[in-house]
Amino acid sequence: MLRVGASRFLKSGSTICRSLSTGKDNLPVTRSHDAKKIELDDILEKPSIKTPVKVITDETMDIGGVPLEHQDARTARIFRPARETPQSAWGNTHSWTIELDNRQRWENPLMGWSGTADPLSNVGMDLKFATKEDAIAFCEKNRWEFDIEEPHERKIKPKNYGQNFSWNRRTRIGTK
Amino acid sequence: MHRVGGQLVRGVKHQKRSMSAVLPPKKVEVFIDGKSLLVDPGMTILQACALVGVDIPRFCYHDRLSIAGNCRMCLVEVEKSVKPVASCAMPVMNGMKVKTNSDFVRKAREGVMEFMLNNHPLDCPICDQGGECDLQDQAVAFGSDRGRLQSRYDGKRALEDKNIGPLVKTVMTRCIQCTRCVRFANEVAAFPDFGTTGRGQDLQIGTYVEKFFASELSGNIIDICPVGALTSKQYAFTARPWETRKTESVDVMDATGSNIVLSHRTGELLRVIPKINDDINEEWLGDQSRFAVDGLKVQRLLTPMIRGADGQLKPASWEEALYTVAAKLRETPAEQKAAVAGGLNDVESLVALKDLFNRFNSENVMTEEEFPETSGGSDLRSNYVFNDGIAGVETADAILLVGTNPRFEAPTLNARIRKSFLYSDVQVGVIGAETELTYEYDYLGASAKAIDDLLAGKGDFAKILNSAATPLIIVGAQALKGEAGAALLGKLQQLADKLGNGKEVKVLNVLQRWAGQTGAQDVGYKTGTASIRKTPIKFLYLLGADEGKVTKANLDPSAFVVYQGHHGDAGAEMADVILPGAAYTEKEGTYVNTEGRSQRGYPAISPPGDARVDWKIIRAVSEVAGKALPYNDLKEIRQRLNEIAPHLLRYRDLEASPFVKQALQLAQTSGSIDVDVSPALRELSDYYQTNVISRNSRSMAQAKKAAIENKTNPYAEEPIHARL
Repeated sequence: MLRVGASRFLKSGSTICRSLSTGKDNLPVTRSHDAKKIELDDILEKPSIKTPVKVITDETMDIGGVPLEHQDARTARIFRPARETPQSAWGNTHSWTIELDNRQRWENPLMGWSGTADPLSNVGMDLKFATKEDAIAFCEKNRWEFDIEEPHERKIKPKNYGQNFSWNRRTRIGTK
Repeated sequence: MHRVGGQLVRGVKHQKRSMSAVLPPKKVEVFIDGKSLLVDPGMTILQACALVGVDIPRFCYHDRLSIAGNCRMCLVEVEKSVKPVASCAMPVMNGMKVKTNSDFVRKAREGVMEFMLNNHPLDCPICDQGGECDLQDQAVAFGSDRGRLQSRYDGKRALEDKNIGPLVKTVMTRCIQCTRCVRFANEVAAFPDFGTTGRGQDLQIGTYVEKFFASELSGNIIDICPVGALTSKQYAFTARPWETRKTESVDVMDATGSNIVLSHRTGELLRVIPKINDDINEEWLGDQSRFAVDGLKVQRLLTPMIRGADGQLKPASWEEALYTVAAKLRETPAEQKAAVAGGLNDVESLVALKDLFNRFNSENVMTEEEFPETSGGSDLRSNYVFNDGIAGVETADAILLVGTNPRFEAPTLNARIRKSFLYSDVQVGVIGAETELTYEYDYLGASAKAIDDLLAGKGDFAKILNSAATPLIIVGAQALKGEAGAALLGKLQQLADKLGNGKEVKVLNVLQRWAGQTGAQDVGYKTGTASIRKTPIKFLYLLGADEGKVTKANLDPSAFVVYQGHHGDAGAEMADVILPGAAYTEKEGTYVNTEGRSQRGYPAISPPGDARVDWKIIRAVSEVAGKALPYNDLKEIRQRLNEIAPHLLRYRDLEASPFVKQALQLAQTSGSIDVDVSPALRELSDYYQTNVISRNSRSMAQAKKAAIENKTNPYAEEPIHARL
């Protein structure tokens, strides 16, 4: 113990002396080839090795903060929305979406906004899934029952402008 | 690259042609934005683009109407064509190279859009179409950021609004003359009064003289209008589409089970629009299905009620009501109990009610609507469903309508017959009333004995039927009532067997009137209330039975009547205890349509007040009465449905009904069928109020009034049938 302490003192003493001296030759000289390369790992602490904890149950729903009464017995409906008849574009019909069973909503008496006690009531509004399987996986993660509704695919039958003028068919338009 | 591919394909096709001449017409190769595509010849460029998922902007083109080609919004560039091409009307040609998004196309569309906006007001903030407007969307996508209209010098087009009845609101200044509504009126609704007058900038849409839009499908012009010129009067200034939630569900106003989308906000139902389903309602919806929902907000039963000693119904708690019902249910002997189900019930509540009565040893559960008990009756499913499917109407080449007016009993089905009439050479014959049906038909008389002639092969229409490859008989359920009903069903089965021999079609199709009727017969309800009149009933349970088929006079004087339903109507009036139930927009339920297709309705809102979901009320009654039904949630009762009839849970699919031959063996072929089978609904004014919801609807009452007044309109068009 003592010996170690003495040698340390001596070492530090020599450095003190050197710094106090004023001679030019005694100044430390830094040469590039003398510089010792330090790796980033030497400065940083050694990373502790992560041991994966096996997930037995998905905890998404447990730690999500959703009240119990709105967690249990939820049924999701997985479907592809139909084209809305007031509009003619088909853009919104390609992706799958989820809708949870509707729970009570009410109108806020102050502003007239819609209120609900169900924190999951908006879950379907912005969720879009590329495939049915993605939607199923999401439901399973959240422990929701689900029903899958297969979409009604549109049939495109050939149509013809000439039908309007065919002389022997009922498609001829009398008035316009 | 493309050329190589094209040559390859062409080479293959040459081979095919040389191989055989029976092959289907060879496909045509087109290139949409460089992507090669094989399409049927005769298709338009717009349709070919739709096949590869390219949406061409359009205003006048509509999938289910004829091609007009007047809006010019669908312009695309076709290689080797100097001018842009209107893709909605241009058929594809082999090797055609189409560009849908080039600079040339964008410039063309921008020009079209500028002209359109020149004559369109800038009133989007006060327009009901705002947010779901094709013009708005396409102006953002394809329009310029400025126009060159100098309204100071050029003026701005403005028109007076037209009055076309209490359902559709018109703001004619917003009209862009796409003529979709005109084509709809002429082609689908068969209301030829709607047309255009004037030319160019002065072109106007309308009826020329003020007239009610006399059609049961008039509400659909609201949907097909790409701008806010035609909007719903009921929904005016109510909500914006982005604030509403949409629930896809099933309609109960007629037995076709049209698919609908319920728009709602803050727990309030705002409107109903159709959901596209090519198997059932295509894109259309009857006015009753669309507008009668305002009837769900009035005259509702909000709290349980018990009739006091003074004969007045007084609000009570659920506890009191359930105990009163359960006590009476327990003390009445089994043979003096009966339950009557109305026509708007879901299968879940029907099953629960039947199970409840079965627990108390009673099999006395019946539907209000009649159907023959003999002649096979509801024992074989093919006897009471629309066997060939609604879409089967399109492939038929001869249709016989017996005792039905599909125009008012199932407007979307009638639209399909009309479509079939326009696009194929279908021949229609009618036995029943000589009414306006939107297509030409051979009238065979009011009496069902005309069927005897058809069986014998006498008359012109018998020849048409006999030579038809896919004949169809559509019989209205109301014609099949009483003694003659059973005989009529038997005769029709015979005729169907004769016509359908060796053909794929089943020929006989029953068009039910009520959304819940097929489901009730599927789960084993008796049909008709005749048995109530035979034995004195002391305990009667009415489940939404409001048609007044059973009155106090039919019952024992000391009878105790329970009414469970959503409206205070005929049923609630005679009740001793009222249990408030939920309407179709408020509960999840299974409905079987007239084809036998099981569909699921979803709740958009929760039941008002203390009202509860129907099957849960019956489940509660059973528990208080001491014989609890073995299902506690929707999943479990659906499991029970599965035990009874598995097809009830195979949603969306059409379950075929076999045993047609066996049904024929059971058929009662004797007995007179010389009865008048004229349907009850003959005129437009009969259509609007046919059930408890529409009877309470204000807009339906207004429409009925307008239809009655329209009869005295000197400018009303003569019906198609009278014009022949």
